[in-house]
Formats: sequence, structure tokens, C-alpha cells
Amino acid sequence: MHYAFHFNVVWEHWRDLAEGAWLTIRLSALAMSFGLAVATVCAYAKAAGPAPVRWTVAAYVEAIRNTPFLVQIFIVYFSLPTLGISIDANEAALAAMVVNFGAYGTEILRAGIESIPHGQVEAARALGLSRLQTFVHVMLFPAVKTVYPALSSQFILLMLASSVVSTISAVELTAVTNSLQSTTFRPFEFYFVSTGIYLAMSLGFQAVFGAMYWVAFMRGPRGHRA
Amino acid sequence: MGKYLKHFALAFLAGASVMMAAQSASAENTLERILSAKKIRVAIDVANPPFGVLDKNSQPDGSDVAVARQLAKDLGAELEFVQVPSTGRIPALLAGRADVTIASISVTADRAKAVMYCNPNGALSITIFAPQSVKITTPADLVGKRVGITRATLEEATVPKMAPEGTKIVWFDDLASTTQALLSGQVDAVAMTAFAEKAVSDANPAKKLENKLLVTTAFYGPIVRQNDFELRQWINTWIFLNTRNGNLATIYKKYTGIDLPPLPTF
Repeated sequence: MHYAFHFNVVWEHWRDLAEGAWLTIRLSALAMSFGLAVATVCAYAKAAGPAPVRWTVAAYVEAIRNTPFLVQIFIVYFSLPTLGISIDANEAALAAMVVNFGAYGTEILRAGIESIPHGQVEAARALGLSRLQTFVHVMLFPAVKTVYPALSSQFILLMLASSVVSTISAVELTAVTNSLQSTTFRPFEFYFVSTGIYLAMSLGFQAVFGAMYWVAFMRGPRGHRA
Repeated sequence: MGKYLKHFALAFLAGASVMMAAQSASAENTLERILSAKKIRVAIDVANPPFGVLDKNSQPDGSDVAVARQLAKDLGAELEFVQVPSTGRIPALLAGRADVTIASISVTADRAKAVMYCNPNGALSITIFAPQSVKITTPADLVGKRVGITRATLEEATVPKMAPEGTKIVWFDDLASTTQALLSGQVDAVAMTAFAEKAVSDANPAKKLENKLLVTTAFYGPIVRQNDFELRQWINTWIFLNTRNGNLATIYKKYTGIDLPPLPTF
């Protein structure tokens, strides 16, 4: 078989690809921020909440971690309007990503929190720190430092998983790629370039996380403390 | 980290070079290979009623599937189905995963730049339909409405051109998602083949779906890779014979419920 590569078609559409990549970045970064907030609240509830709350959080985490992301997206996008809640494709994608990352993040933070020696927590309480202060300063901060690599790789997984939100018509990088390949009939060129863009975004985010780690943990008074 | 990056880059390059190598290694033509291997790989889309569906036993069925079965039988070759979504009908061919795509792929000038069409073996029309409550009587009524279409279909090639500015076109990857978007109210109307419309309407009588606009009528035919002239010629011969003996008309009538219009040739 013969196939002549024509990459000039791709450059003609670079603006569309850039817009798609930008939506992927925005969706992922927003989902990460909100998801981390969800995860922190859930991790606190799991570590210090009353039993019914702990069970609820456990049910949420297990339900999300043991079902496919695609199905979660379909449920948000196709079921909520049936219940009278209007939600567009980007909102549905973001909501599903937040819920998904929240569950994985809870589990990752729990592992970090469990690694904190109990004596350290008791010492903080004995020194007069409130429950919340103890959680934030004595448990959460060192826990995040411990599980930082797991959190950042979970984020990369989330960003790559965002490619499936094209199925509900959110116009992110994969959706743009699918549209362009189906209208220009140059699938290899577009999928190659799109793969390269995903790779670049992953490496870029890894660099950002590395820098954030350095800022948060490696310098200033906290760097010497934890 | 640096080491992983290097491995990744190497794997990526290796994959790319395998693909480059695959395209240069072909001494015998596709028809010769099919005949000597006694096997033909046909790309079909089984999410596109009534042309391609999965029956109760999850076996491929539909008019495209029936055509493919008869064609393979007359060719004396074992039939291997390559199931693809609508967006994969041309890529599967270009990637060499299939020898021919028989998936009601309408003849358009743009597609013919990427693949070669055999003579048409059927016809279809694209319509816009919506629940009774949605008022659409002329194309101008589409302004402000969300219209769902499926990627890599005839509707993707035609609806954006006929819809006036201000129409909110929403793209989905497969017919099932487009259909679900209409049923759940995520879009106001959808465009698909008149046959798919009938299947969706019959399955959801409570939605009171009705036909609003005819977008276009087109012929569809099998496609092969550029330069596979021998295979194309054999398929054209087969289409000629099966038009004459009524096989194509029988298959079309059985699955679509309407008579096959006279088929043009080119």
C-alpha cells in the first residue's frame, strides 16, 4: 500500500488544534483544582469525620474508582438533563473530571495521611492546635509532600483521560483531531501531531509540577522543617 | 525522568518507522493478495441502521453486511469483518486494516481525494428531524437551535453548508451518542439518514419525532485504497452482475423497506 504524508494540511489547521489543546489544558487544570479541593475535604472527612460521613466518602470513592470514566461522563451528560438540570458539554466534562479526580485524589491523600505517625498528631493536639490546624499543618502538608509524585501522575492520567470527553461533543484536542481527520481524510498526519501535542502537554505539566514542588517544599522555612 | 523520555521518544520513532516501512512493502496488488490468501477484510460500521447493525446474537447484520457476505462468497474468499466507527471508515482502509470499506459511505468529491469509489450500490437521504414541539419548517428556523450531527458522515459534509449562520452545530463521534443527545434533550434536532431517523422514531414513539427538513440525497458505494484498480474493477463487475440479477435490489428492499432506485455508474 502507498501513503504519501502531507503534513502541510496540519499546519493549515494549527489554530483549530491550538484551540482544542487550550480547552484540554483548561479543563484539566480546573478539574485538578476543584478535584483537589473535593479530595482534601473527603480525606479530612475520612480521617476525622463521624462514621456515617466516612461510609459516604468510602462509597463515593469506591463507586468512582471501580467504574469506567466514559460511563461517568455519559451519566453526567445524558442523565442530568432528564432530571431537569441543564448542563452543556464542557460543563458536563468538567463535572465528570472533578468527580473522578476527587475520588482518586481522596485515596492518594489518605495514603499520605496514614503515613503520618500518630504520635505527631497527638503531640500537635497536646500543644493546643485545633482539629483543623492539626489537619492542615501536621497531617495534610507533610502528606501532600509524601504523595506528591502520585498526585502529579494522577493529574497527567486525568489530562490524557480527558480525550474521551469528545464523545459528548466537548471540543477539546481529540474532538478537534477527529473532526479534522474526518473532513481532510489525513488521519495519520493529524493523529501523529495530536499525539505529539499530548506528549508535549504531559511533559510541560510535569515541569510545572516539578517547579511547584520546589516552591512549596524545597525552599523557605518549610523546606527545612518537613 | 531523562531516561524515560529517551525510551518514549525511541518507541515513538520505532512506531512511526514501522508504519513507513509498511507502505513500501507491497509487490502484489490487493486483489492478488485476496485471491491467494482466500480472505478479504471488509470494514463495516455496525452502529448505522439499517446498513450495519449487530443482531440479537451480536453478529453483524444489515444491508452493507449482506452485500459484503454475497461479495465475499462470489469472490470465493473467507470474509473477515473489521468493525469501525463512522470516523474509522476511511482510516481503517488507509492504515491497511481492511481491503475494502462497505459502510454506506456516500460519494463526495472530498472523500474521493483520499480513496477510490467503486460504482454505487445504494442510495440514502439525509434529513433533519426533531420532536413535534420543536418548530422547524425552513432552514432559517435552525438559527439558535442545537443540531446534533455525527463526525465523518454525509451530514457532517452537508449540514454545516446548508445551515444558516447562528445554527449551533454539535458534533458527536458516533450515531448512538447523537441519538442519545436528541432523546435526552441535549440537542434540539439531529441530522442523520432517513433510515436511521425511522429506526430512532420507531424505537421512541413517546418522543413524537418528526421529519423536518430534507438535507440531501446521495448514492453510496464501496471504497478501496487509491491505486487498487484491480480490486475496484472486480467489485464494479460484481455490482454490475448483481444489479442485473436483482441481488442488490433484494438486499436493499429487505433492510430499508423501499425499492432500490436505478443505480448510476461512473
